Amino acid sequence: MAQQIIFYILALAIAVFSILAVTSKRVIRSATYLLFVLLATAGLFLLLNYHYLFAVQVTVYAGGIMVLFIMSIFLTHKPGDQFITRMSWKVRSSAFLAVAGLVLCGYIIVKNVTRVYSYINGNELQMQDLGTTMMGTEKYQYLLPFEVISVLLLACIIGAILIARKEKSPMNPPQGDMD
Amino acid sequence: MNYSQPLELTGIISTLDTFFRNNLTPFWATFIEGALILIAILAAYAIIALALIYIERKITAFFQSRLGPNRLGKYGVIQSIADMVKILIKEIIQINDVDKFLFYAAPFFVIISSVLTFGAIPFGMGLQAVDFKIGIIYVIAASSLGVIGVLLAGWSSNNKYSMIGAMRSGAQFVSYELSAAFSLMTIVVLSGTMQLSEIVENQRYAWNLFNGHIPAMIAFVIYLISGHAETNRGPFDLPEAEGELTAGYHTEYSGLQFGFFYLAEYLNMFIIAAVATTVFLGGWMPIQIKGLDAFNQVMWYIPSYVWFFAKTGVLIFLSLWVRWSFPRMRIDLLLNLEWKYLLPINLVNILLMVLMVLAGWTLSDWFPGLFAIAP
Amino acid sequence: MLKFHFIRKIFFILLDTNNFKITQNIPPSGFRGADINNMNPFIKYISGIFTAVKSLLGGMLVTWRELWRKKVTMQYPENRDTLVISDRWRSELTMPHDENNEHACTACGICMINCPNGTINVISKTIETEDGKKKKILDKHIWDYGMCTFCNLCVITCPSDAIIFNNDFEGAMFDRSKLVHQLNKPGSKLREKKPLTPKGEQKAP
Repeated sequence: MAQQIIFYILALAIAVFSILAVTSKRVIRSATYLLFVLLATAGLFLLLNYHYLFAVQVTVYAGGIMVLFIMSIFLTHKPGDQFITRMSWKVRSSAFLAVAGLVLCGYIIVKNVTRVYSYINGNELQMQDLGTTMMGTEKYQYLLPFEVISVLLLACIIGAILIARKEKSPMNPPQGDMD
Repeated sequence: MNYSQPLELTGIISTLDTFFRNNLTPFWATFIEGALILIAILAAYAIIALALIYIERKITAFFQSRLGPNRLGKYGVIQSIADMVKILIKEIIQINDVDKFLFYAAPFFVIISSVLTFGAIPFGMGLQAVDFKIGIIYVIAASSLGVIGVLLAGWSSNNKYSMIGAMRSGAQFVSYELSAAFSLMTIVVLSGTMQLSEIVENQRYAWNLFNGHIPAMIAFVIYLISGHAETNRGPFDLPEAEGELTAGYHTEYSGLQFGFFYLAEYLNMFIIAAVATTVFLGGWMPIQIKGLDAFNQVMWYIPSYVWFFAKTGVLIFLSLWVRWSFPRMRIDLLLNLEWKYLLPINLVNILLMVLMVLAGWTLSDWFPGLFAIAP
Repeated sequence: MLKFHFIRKIFFILLDTNNFKITQNIPPSGFRGADINNMNPFIKYISGIFTAVKSLLGGMLVTWRELWRKKVTMQYPENRDTLVISDRWRSELTMPHDENNEHACTACGICMINCPNGTINVISKTIETEDGKKKKILDKHIWDYGMCTFCNLCVITCPSDAIIFNNDFEGAMFDRSKLVHQLNKPGSKLREKKPLTPKGEQKAP
């Protein structure tokens, strides 16, 4: 009963803040509403006793990604800037895409809802299980994808450094700091 | 071995629990217990904040060869209560041309993140509100929310000083959070669990700081440095550098709104010290030596929360000592310290810890008769 | 511009320590005992950490000593007995009276004239002495604490040294009218001039 009430509150929050995030005129407010959506999703995970997912959701999305979003908004926008939606065909096409995605996801969820229930048995996930699953090499263990993703991220980081790095010619010492 | 623990609060807590369970339906019992815990946490939050403000002002004064507050009450002990009353009755100034919603929401982010982290700290035996299996990740997650409040406060104040302060705070927090998390992970490798209560239990005979000797000590120092930087204090207080930014991100706030920032700053200092205590210094566990039952009994007579607050107090003192010893760092030096020193050292350190645990070079592996928990 | 370039060039010569022996004599700041210039960057990095830790601990030692140093803060209301105020401190204008309730003010008004902002008001009255002469004597010497700038001009110019600034600094009042002081005590009178005698004779008895 209590769980249901909390679920409805969270679901309502997710729905309302999602709509606010895409309709808000100010981009920083959109980011804040998106943050609320992410936090409410984290709340759903907590409701399901998925503590690890909850913590990761909060750390990575709310604490990490949103901070980067907000920082980049700071760097690119002036306070008080407002969005002006001009091209209505863009709005219409994205609305169509959103509805299509909703239908697809809804179909998948409705089809698989019983199977999802069997996964969610309400027990707290052991960190050891999670660790061995992520680091094991047997069936249903994911060391290879894990490592591949880490190599991919490393490549991204090195690429970013290469792009951002200033060329330093050996003849001239860096003179920017002297002035 | 069971020791007599006359001053522990576990008896009262379990009595209350059985009383509620026997007299009420499970829903209402849980509800009332939750409400009581909430009240207790908020009360502890406020009281610790007030005590910390007084202690900090006093110690700061001693470091600067002053006397500090000494007029209100004996040695000025109720000075911070007077300050609190002053802040509470102050006018909340309405500012034109700010994003009102974000402006008023920002302090709540800061304080909620602080309270959420505060709840996970084991203050003593049975005195822990939130004890997830993933305790350490929860602490990191909850404390990472605070910076959003700071960023939003800076943005919505519509003031360039606040804005610069918020930008600095964001850069600083995102950088140093990495180091803090990694140094905590080093200890997770050592103790093999993320649950804060289990981490405390594992340190019955040897603190993690000594059990993991060299890497644990490096991790401890790195955690203290990065935790200090996360709370925007000491030599890392660029976001609120008075000389250049008036008060940084909370320049435009007044009254209770400012009070939230102020309270959260002090409590974050406490939380960093408390997490360091729990993870490195044995938490609320009294100092015990295997085999010396008489000594252990004497140590157990001192209640666990006293141990916890004593250890935390030492770390808080250390933080204040650092704060009043070093000048404020420049932003590039600050980021250099993190990205060129702390983070690489930390990564090497975590590898070292993994090798050490695998090779069995911890103190409890070397001297199981003295330090290991299992006989 | 040329000068600036020149300075910059010198600076780089100083920085570029591999080519010039000149800097070898200057001990590198923060690091002693080893040649920092010809070092492997990795060793430089590691030793940099240790020197940083060492110097930070040195700084903390300084503040640690400061923590235990005796505090010299003066706690004002409690230390009234031992409080030392410098003699030259000017706080309140007073007119010294001797044991016979006599002062030295002749009511000449010079202090009033010299006061830059009209703080002093000397009110005199004329009386008739026993031998029938008319004489101007001091009736009221009014000084406004609230307006005084403590410039000391009145004291300097007083021909008979009748007024001085004392050290009594606790002049705060709840009422502005209380800041207006009458300097001569009621019933006081002008000190009789000593008969004109050479200085040596005056001191003799």
